[in-house]
Amino acid sequence: MNFFNSIGVLITNEKYMGMLFEGLGTTLLISVFAALLGLVLGTLVAIVGISGDSPIMKLPKLICKLYVTIIRGTPMALQLFIMAYTIFAIRGFPKEITAIIAFGINSGAYVSENIRAGILSVDIGQTEAGRALGLNGKTTMVKIVIPQAIKNVIPAIGNELIALIKETSIVSMIGMYDLTQAAKVIGAGNNMASYVVPMSVAACFYLAIVYLLTFAIKKIEGKLRAGDKR
Amino acid sequence: MISVKNIIKTFEDGVTVLKGVDCEIKKGEVVAIIGPSGSGKSTLLRCMNLLCVPTYGEVWLKDSLLTPVDPYLHTEVIEASNTYKKLIAEGMDGSEAIKKIKAEDLLKEKFSSAEGKAYKAEIKKIYNESHIDINLARQRMGMVFQHFNLFNNLTVMENLTLAPTQLKLKTNEEAEQIAMTLLKRIGLEDKADVYPSTLSGGQKQRIAIVRALAMNPDIMLFDEPTSALDPEMVGEVLDLMKQLAGEGMTMVIVTHEMGFAREVADKIIFIDEGIIKEQGTPAEIFGNPKDARLKDFLSKVL
Repeated sequence: MNFFNSIGVLITNEKYMGMLFEGLGTTLLISVFAALLGLVLGTLVAIVGISGDSPIMKLPKLICKLYVTIIRGTPMALQLFIMAYTIFAIRGFPKEITAIIAFGINSGAYVSENIRAGILSVDIGQTEAGRALGLNGKTTMVKIVIPQAIKNVIPAIGNELIALIKETSIVSMIGMYDLTQAAKVIGAGNNMASYVVPMSVAACFYLAIVYLLTFAIKKIEGKLRAGDKR
Repeated sequence: MISVKNIIKTFEDGVTVLKGVDCEIKKGEVVAIIGPSGSGKSTLLRCMNLLCVPTYGEVWLKDSLLTPVDPYLHTEVIEASNTYKKLIAEGMDGSEAIKKIKAEDLLKEKFSSAEGKAYKAEIKKIYNESHIDINLARQRMGMVFQHFNLFNNLTVMENLTLAPTQLKLKTNEEAEQIAMTLLKRIGLEDKADVYPSTLSGGQKQRIAIVRALAMNPDIMLFDEPTSALDPEMVGEVLDLMKQLAGEGMTMVIVTHEMGFAREVADKIIFIDEGIIKEQGTPAEIFGNPKDARLKDFLSKVL
C-alpha cells in the first residue's frame, strides 16, 4: 500500500479522524488561551520595563527582568515539567490549565520583548505632543503610543503565535492528548503501524491553522496601517 | 504670564545647556528666542512646560509654580535655614550671609538633615500655596514642535478632539464643532477625515497649531515651527502665526526666521552658551546689537 493510498484510508476512517479532531481541539484550546495569557503578561512586563526609574518600580523591574531571562533561557519542555510535576502537582488538577499557564508564561516572556521594542519604536515626539496637550502619561500611552506600537509589533507577535501553536506539540510529555499525540496513537502498531501517514495528516492540520492565522494577522495589520502611506 | 527664574539644566551626560536663565513673558507679548544651534534655546522653551525638567530654578505660570521649590530663590527659606542662622551667629550681616549661601551652594545638605524643620516648613508653605499639577498647567500652554508630531494613528479631526474630550473639557460634539471651525479657519476642512501621513509639511504644521488652539490656551510655545518645512511651505505657517499674534495671543517662538522675528516679535531674546546674552525690542537687537556674540551671529544669519 503506497503513501497516498494510506492517506486515503486514514481520512476516510471515522475513528482515526475523530481522534485527530479531538487532538486538534486540545491543541487549539491550549494555543488560544496561552496566547491570550502571553499577550496580557507580555504587555504588563513591557510596560514595567519601559517605565521610569522611580524607586517604587525597582522591585517590579527586577522581577520582570528575572522572569524574561529565566523563561527565555530554559527549555520549554522543562518549564512544562516543572509546572506539571512540581507547581501544579495536585491530583485531579486539569492538565489543560497547567499547559495553558506554562505556555502562557513562556509566550509572555517573548511577547514582552516584542512589545517593548514596539513601544520604543514609536517616536518620542508622539509622547511629547500628548503630554504637552495636558494628557497624563497613561492616556498618552493608551491612546497614542500603544496603538502605534501594536502596528509595529504585529508581525513579530504573529511569529510568536505561530511558534507557540507548534510548540504545544510537546504537551504529550505530560500525558495530554493533542494533535501530535493523536497522530502518534494512530501510527502505533495496533492501529496503522506507520507514523509517516498520520504525522503528515497532522502536519496538514498545523499548516492549515497557521495559514488561517497568518491570513487573519495580515488583515488586522492592513486595517491598523490605514493611517500609513506604505 | 510665564516667569523663568534662574533655570539651570544639566543633562544626564553632564552637559550643562542652561546656566542660569531668567526671563519673563508678559500677557499678549510675542517673544522670539534666537541664537546659534546648541545654545539652549529649545531647551529653554521646553523647560517652560516642563517637557524638559530643569535641574535648578523655578518656572511660574501666572501665580502657579510648575517646578519644585528652589530654596535659593526665596529669601524666607534661606533665612529659615540653619546655615543662615549659624552665619548670623558668627556676626555676619544678613544680606551678606544670603549672598554667601547662594554663591557657595550651602543649602545642599539641608534637605536630608533632621534639624531643618523650619526650613522645610517654609518650602512646604510655598509649595502648597503655589504649586499646580503639570498636566493642568499644560492644558493652558499650547506647544508646536519642529517635527509637527501629529498623532499618526488618528485622523486630523481626532487629533484636534482627542485632548479636549479625553480631559472632559468638552463633549464630543462641542469638540468637533470647535475643530471644524479651526480647520475652516486654515482652509483644511476637507482634510478632517484623512490621516496625517497624507498631508504636506505645511498642512501638518498648521494642523498642529490649531490642535494646540483647540485647547484654548493662554500661551503658545513654538519650537522652531518652520525648520523642518520645505521653503515654499514656510510662508503659510508664518502667516497663521502672524494672525495669532495679531489677535493678541501670548507667544514664545524659538526660530531661525530672522525676518519674521523682526516683524512680529515684541521682544527678542538672544541666547548663547546657555545664558541670555542680550534681550530687547527687534529694533534694539537688529538695529543696535551690543553683545559681540550677537553681532557675530547676526552677521552670519542676516
